[in-house]
Amino acid sequence: MLSRVAESLYWFSRYLRRAENTARLLGVNSQLQLDLPRSVRFAWQPLLDTLGAAAAFRELHKDAATVVAENDVVRFLLLDERNPSSMLSSLKSARDGLRSIRDVLPPELWERVNGMFLWVSENGERTLARRYRMDLINRVVDDSLTVSGMLITNVSHDIGFQFLRLGTALEQADMTTRLIDAGGSGLIRPRAAEELDAYQAMQWMSVLRSLAAYQMYRRHVRQRVSPTQALQFLLQNAEFPRSVRYCLVSVQNTLTHMPARSALDDALRGTLALASEADTRALVESGPRALMDRIQIGLGELHEAIGEAYFRAT
Amino acid sequence: MKWEGYRSSTYDELIRSDGQPWPAARKLVDYLASLSDRDLAERQLAADLAARVMGITFTVYSEGRNVDRTLPFDVIPRVIARSEWRRTEAGLRQRVHALNLFIGDIYGEQKIIKDRVFPRSLLKDSVNFRPQCVGVKPPLGVWAHICGSDLVRDGDGTLYALEDNLRIPSGVSYMIQNRAVAKRVFPELFETTAILPVDDYPAQLYDTLAALSPRPGEPPVIALLTPGIYNSAYFEHCYLAQSMGIELVEGSDLFVDDDDCCYMRTVHGPQRVDVIYRRVDDLFLDPECFNPDSTLGVRGLVRAWRAGKVALANAPGAGVADDKVVFAFVPKMIKYYLGEEAILPNVPSYLCATKRDRDYVLANIGQLVVKPANESGGYGMLIGPRANKRQHEQFRKLIAANPRNYMAQPTLALSTAPILTERGPSARHLDLRPFVLSRGDIYVTTGGLTRVAMTKGSLVVNSSQGGGAKDTWIVDLEDEG
Repeated sequence: MLSRVAESLYWFSRYLRRAENTARLLGVNSQLQLDLPRSVRFAWQPLLDTLGAAAAFRELHKDAATVVAENDVVRFLLLDERNPSSMLSSLKSARDGLRSIRDVLPPELWERVNGMFLWVSENGERTLARRYRMDLINRVVDDSLTVSGMLITNVSHDIGFQFLRLGTALEQADMTTRLIDAGGSGLIRPRAAEELDAYQAMQWMSVLRSLAAYQMYRRHVRQRVSPTQALQFLLQNAEFPRSVRYCLVSVQNTLTHMPARSALDDALRGTLALASEADTRALVESGPRALMDRIQIGLGELHEAIGEAYFRAT
Repeated sequence: MKWEGYRSSTYDELIRSDGQPWPAARKLVDYLASLSDRDLAERQLAADLAARVMGITFTVYSEGRNVDRTLPFDVIPRVIARSEWRRTEAGLRQRVHALNLFIGDIYGEQKIIKDRVFPRSLLKDSVNFRPQCVGVKPPLGVWAHICGSDLVRDGDGTLYALEDNLRIPSGVSYMIQNRAVAKRVFPELFETTAILPVDDYPAQLYDTLAALSPRPGEPPVIALLTPGIYNSAYFEHCYLAQSMGIELVEGSDLFVDDDDCCYMRTVHGPQRVDVIYRRVDDLFLDPECFNPDSTLGVRGLVRAWRAGKVALANAPGAGVADDKVVFAFVPKMIKYYLGEEAILPNVPSYLCATKRDRDYVLANIGQLVVKPANESGGYGMLIGPRANKRQHEQFRKLIAANPRNYMAQPTLALSTAPILTERGPSARHLDLRPFVLSRGDIYVTTGGLTRVAMTKGSLVVNSSQGGGAKDTWIVDLEDEG
């Protein structure tokens, strides 16, 4: 398989998953905001931080008040093409990447991705208002999952498929660490300090929902949502496909189907140990940010190592 | 469909001047007559839909987001009797054989120049002559492995060669896809008429390429080199690579190492490439050898080719014979190299480089088609009878300034065939591009791509200028009984 094609497959699955996760995150938080009493302030700023878009947003909204407005944030994260990681930008990148490798994937895949991109770019603005927002979000989530289903079901699980798996796993692990960080830092700011505990549980519930993990959490943990348990589930659960550990183990399994590269195994082993050996109780006490940062750096190194090993080897 | 009102101003491919169909077209014409207008319109719609679903597109530059367009397809096929086709096929073999001998001679001993059959001065000014290719002996002695020759029929029914595309001829994928669409639309006719198949082409092309491998005995690694998704023929590149099961590569996927071998960058590490079907123009092929700014090509590729470590199809420099001035010498080449008379006549040509011809062209510019020597796609030409006095004058000046770069041909009354319009069948001008593959032997496609001017009266059939396509049937009357 050509390195260029492999790299395009890898990025295609990353962008597809990124678009889906971004849509999901915005959807859950739009819902959460509706549930909160007036005494509790919902801050949109942490969403920008979670998705690493705060600096770009500030650049474009210099005159805005310190408290960022819902509409500005939602538009920026979903539809703004000036934000390279917005949902629409991710869809566009996925589509453009797919264009040059159309010959290796079934044609209906291209039609679905192209159709989704065209629909969002034509109807996005119209469906941004709260009343229609869930239609927009659900459509992107559903279409992304349809495409994932086509890939798993209709595409040969050859070497190219392994790159799709790698892209999906790395993107998901990255997004999950971002959300764990957000769960620990606080989207919700009650005015009275004594209400913090109650709303913290609510906040973790929304994080779980953003990762489609709420029901799986309940089945697995059989307790009401607590910060320690939620954090442990998202970081270390061996069976939930969006947990950090699951994603990294998936990378490990995928690598056994590919030409061996020892530098990759080293990068992976360290990051996997960080995630699976962490003391979650202590993490809740100290806040998960420092560890999530380290894991994200590890994922970045893994991404680089994949590039060195397979895309830029010659 | 009613044929009663159908008229053509010239030779028609389906209907004779007495209103009766040609024998090979009789079944088709009768069948079409039995269909209602509505039925036919539905079939045209089905054909358009099939083309879109199958993704038959070509790319139009600078149309913003809508990069892919479908090639207009007319459902009424163009029919040629097999008996006539045999002769055309023989003419094409002869022609392409002589052209390959000519290219080899020009980059070798230049006997044809020494024997004063071909003037040296024409070579000196040829923009497609590549000094870098002098002395190279490509495998099997073939330079133009894939040739697309354009044939046109004049009002008296004579089939002429109009030009030979020896650089990177395109359109063959439309020939194959047009047949697939026609089979969906007229399955009944394929049962009752002996229409020869066309879908052998990818296998034949694969064999042609595989025969060039510098490592015979080992399974050859073959790649199609494309300029990328913005090229107008990208659909064809994808289609051919897929149907031959070879890699579709871009310049950045390849590199030439110190051992002068060409490699693909793969996830398993470098993999040696034996044969490259390149769809990138000579000048962009290798920044080390040609245009230093090219990002489409591969540095060192010509070096690897000269060293015999990789085969290129078509060979660099093959375009020296793809020149409308050199074209005029093809009958002489056939005589010189093969000792035969040309089976397919050339469209008569006047070379502005010679005084006698130039005087004739300047005096008769209103009746002639004037073409620059090295343009393709119908760009930069003058159709005398359709142009005004100011344009005539402008071309007189262009010719005087650079006579070598221009040639002229009489304006042919290009033959027509009916296309389906809202008001029934209507005559449109067309040409035919068969594809010829050269290796040890020579293969000619069964028929070729029929290109049709969709605008009434227009003589320009190029897809980049609004032309469309038809399926081309070679019908064997002896096989029908």
